[in-house]
Amino acid sequence: MKKIIAALAVSLIGISGVAKAEYPERPVLLMIPYGAGGATDFQARIATIPAGNDDMLGMPVAIINKPGAGGRVGWNWFANNAEKDGYTMGGYNVPHFIAQSIKGGVDYSTDSFEPIANWGSDPAVFVVGKDSNFNSMSDVVDFAKANPGKLTFSGAGLFVGHHIAALQIEKAAGVKMLYIPNKSGGAGAMKAVISGEVLAGVNNLSDAFRAQKAGTIKILGVADLERNAFLPDVPTMMEQGLDVDNTSVNFRGVMVPKGTPQAVIDKLASVVPEMFKHKRVAQKMKAGGSPMKIMNRAEVLDMWAKRQTTLEELLKGL
Amino acid sequence: MNIFQHKLSSGFVAGLAFIVCYISFTRQPSDAYLFPRVISVFFLTLSLWTFFKALLGLSKAGNGLTLNMFRNMLPGMLISSIYLFFAAKFLGFYTATAIAFFLLLTAYDPESYSSVNSWVKRIIITACFIAIMYTLFAKILVVYTPRGMFI
Amino acid sequence: MDFIFYFGEVFTFTSMLLLIGGTIGGLIMGATPGLSPTMTVALLIPFTFNMTPVHGLILLGAAYTSTVAGGAVSAILLKIPGAPANIATTLDGNAMARKGEGAKALQLSFIASLIGGIFGVFLLIFLTPVLAKMANSFGYSHTFWLAIIGVTVIGSLEAGSVVKGLLSGCIGMWLATIGFDDIQGVKRFVFHPAIAGGVNIIPALIGLFAIPQVITMFAKGRFQNDIEQIQVKKHPIAKAFQEVFSRKRALIIGTSIGSLIGLIPGVGGQIAGLLAYDQAKKFSPEKKKFGTGHSEGVIAAESANNAMVGPSLVPLLTLSIPGSPTAAVLLGGLIIHGIFPGPTLFQQYPEVIWPFINSMLIGQILMCIFGIYIASLAARVAQVPQFIMAAIVLGLAAFGSFAVQQSMGDVYVMVVLGTMMYFLERFGFSAAPLVLGLILGPIAESNFVTGSLISTAQNGPFVYFFTGGLNILLVSIVILSVGFSIWSEINTKRQS
Repeated sequence: MKKIIAALAVSLIGISGVAKAEYPERPVLLMIPYGAGGATDFQARIATIPAGNDDMLGMPVAIINKPGAGGRVGWNWFANNAEKDGYTMGGYNVPHFIAQSIKGGVDYSTDSFEPIANWGSDPAVFVVGKDSNFNSMSDVVDFAKANPGKLTFSGAGLFVGHHIAALQIEKAAGVKMLYIPNKSGGAGAMKAVISGEVLAGVNNLSDAFRAQKAGTIKILGVADLERNAFLPDVPTMMEQGLDVDNTSVNFRGVMVPKGTPQAVIDKLASVVPEMFKHKRVAQKMKAGGSPMKIMNRAEVLDMWAKRQTTLEELLKGL
Repeated sequence: MNIFQHKLSSGFVAGLAFIVCYISFTRQPSDAYLFPRVISVFFLTLSLWTFFKALLGLSKAGNGLTLNMFRNMLPGMLISSIYLFFAAKFLGFYTATAIAFFLLLTAYDPESYSSVNSWVKRIIITACFIAIMYTLFAKILVVYTPRGMFI
Repeated sequence: MDFIFYFGEVFTFTSMLLLIGGTIGGLIMGATPGLSPTMTVALLIPFTFNMTPVHGLILLGAAYTSTVAGGAVSAILLKIPGAPANIATTLDGNAMARKGEGAKALQLSFIASLIGGIFGVFLLIFLTPVLAKMANSFGYSHTFWLAIIGVTVIGSLEAGSVVKGLLSGCIGMWLATIGFDDIQGVKRFVFHPAIAGGVNIIPALIGLFAIPQVITMFAKGRFQNDIEQIQVKKHPIAKAFQEVFSRKRALIIGTSIGSLIGLIPGVGGQIAGLLAYDQAKKFSPEKKKFGTGHSEGVIAAESANNAMVGPSLVPLLTLSIPGSPTAAVLLGGLIIHGIFPGPTLFQQYPEVIWPFINSMLIGQILMCIFGIYIASLAARVAQVPQFIMAAIVLGLAAFGSFAVQQSMGDVYVMVVLGTMMYFLERFGFSAAPLVLGLILGPIAESNFVTGSLISTAQNGPFVYFFTGGLNILLVSIVILSVGFSIWSEINTKRQS
């Protein structure tokens, strides 16, 4: 009996040893730190459609969701527990995870992960209900100046893109408003705006674009360097005299834990951006109102480093 | 016997409530512990109430445990804990499930161990169960279970 | 009445194939512990990428309705609620199965689901604009009070002692605070890395219900002389229909509470069944029969949790706000085809939306037919020898809780909580109130915290939480509910 087990074990190890030469030999997991159905999850599912094609990974990508606390639960798991064999990838959201690591209390930082590629950039936008008296950012700033601490505005959580945008707006306008983080993420924050529970909100451009089309909200400004192709009529914060740059833009992409073999990283870094460029991905993303921005590994590394410095500066006083 | 068990169980719950309460009121930042504080006060009050009731011998709900029950459940608990806490990762999820499943059947099958038929029956049941689980989870749902020495 | 013209789309060959496949698949998924409706729909989304929008949505609609109903199968036969929605079904449904009336319980649950479900979809068809306004008027304070109303249900779930029921609820609420605080992002009560992500509801649900049963079977030992051989009774379908319609009170309570509660984003689906069960018990002259295998309990719970399906889509379809995790996933299924929900949805895409809604109607009927068809066969599960059952339930529990997030930590949480629950149950604590606390704790907490934060910009917390028509109405329901529990408690004590 023992001999048989030993022989089996040897042959199994042998098989897996051979197979390692041809990564990947089984489906690859992609951990998304937000709930199923949210913008990040939804886009990840679209972005990985072509993974099974022979010229891509040749294996499907399976999404697992580990939601909680603005992504902290999933990223903590990814930094501590994910296997470093290339079969567990994770989704990243910048500035979220960088801001959280600067704030502290989590087990990860930019040094814990190796970026692979970026698929999307979703700027934060400032929204108000459709019947609101606010029609531009200057209306909002005037109200906030007259009523310090009384202007409630919702966002997806603390130290996520929305919160960063909120901090930047407050700083640029020199006003004090009341930021209301929402437990159920962007969707819950949007609901609070639509139902009038809060006076305004910061939300994802992609979700706001849909809500605006549905006629339930107005979009007053985009927190990005230039206007967005989806919303050519909405001015940026800069155009409205608020010095808010693109720090809060939500970059979404794929990474692996530090310690993953370099060969695997190289393979992924060459294949994954091609996967994002696939025609069907672009078409579905456009249909869903999700702005794309494909960046390769080198570009993402650069972007992470830049965000790290700007965010450290912004969060210093908090 | 039974009254002692009630004291023990409600004492355990009261102890837990005390710890929860202590942590909620001492940890910082206090904003994050606002809700746990509210709950733990209720928790502690109710658990002290049941504890004193048990001390006075007034607890009636529940049937308690007998030594015989402990003796009976011991092999099952042992197999299950080794299976879930150790073997599942060491041997691989499916292998561990198959072995644990078969051992549990063997441990609790009332039929005589000398009957060959009963051994065959248990092996067949185990094989069927594993086959169904494998098709459903590995093939249809693409759930990647832990692999150890085997799958 | 527009929807009638779009039935043609549902009765094409491909659509019917998808409907039947989706319904049968959904029933199997729903009956497997750990595979919640949300997960099933999320798993199906990639398949709909290659279909036309109509076909994709028909598949998703059929799968959604049938997984909700399929959860009743494992709740009744194995006493493992497939999803939080089915907790109330375990209370009487499993008691019936143990008496050999599993076939009857399953038939009742599927018929009640059908009636509730169809009523819910009709509400969606005819009253969407009105319902959308109602859903929208629910703010943080109202959701908080709704969660508190849910807590008051604990009194009627507990067979042994009310105090221990409330205590179980407290334990559940405490367990829910473990892990990261969602708003502040601070770790609370994390004493082992397995719970760093908090106690996940589905593995906890499986553990709390399945493991105590497994241990109970172990505790009976190898030679179970005192085991009674369960006679599985056949139950004619006509009689089941008669039974459901003769229990009008339970059916009306279940359907109306289910469809009302289903509307409210964030809470609805999870507690609709329990609230309906509680009300059906309070209004029934046969209160004592509840929990012992009373058909009213099954009917109220199951009609409620399927009645919630239709209205739960109202906020999604009219305001683009997903009211439940499953609705959030369905939203993905819509926008992937470039269909953006909103007030003009029904005018813009009638050729997609009406077949989708119609397919949920037809799906309900198919679900009921298949469900009843398998009922008498499935009820034989009760005859499987206990030692085999124990091993199967343990295996299912392990696989089911692992599959939720593909995490061993969830398996550990499942088995540890379950083992503790076994011992607590021996002393009068019970799982249902504990799970209720686990579900409602986070809802109450986040709405309370957010509400108080907003109130600082307005007139303070008291005004925010206690004024306004809806708040006063909800607070009075809380007071009435508690008062009624105390009153009936005193009454029964006096009688005995």
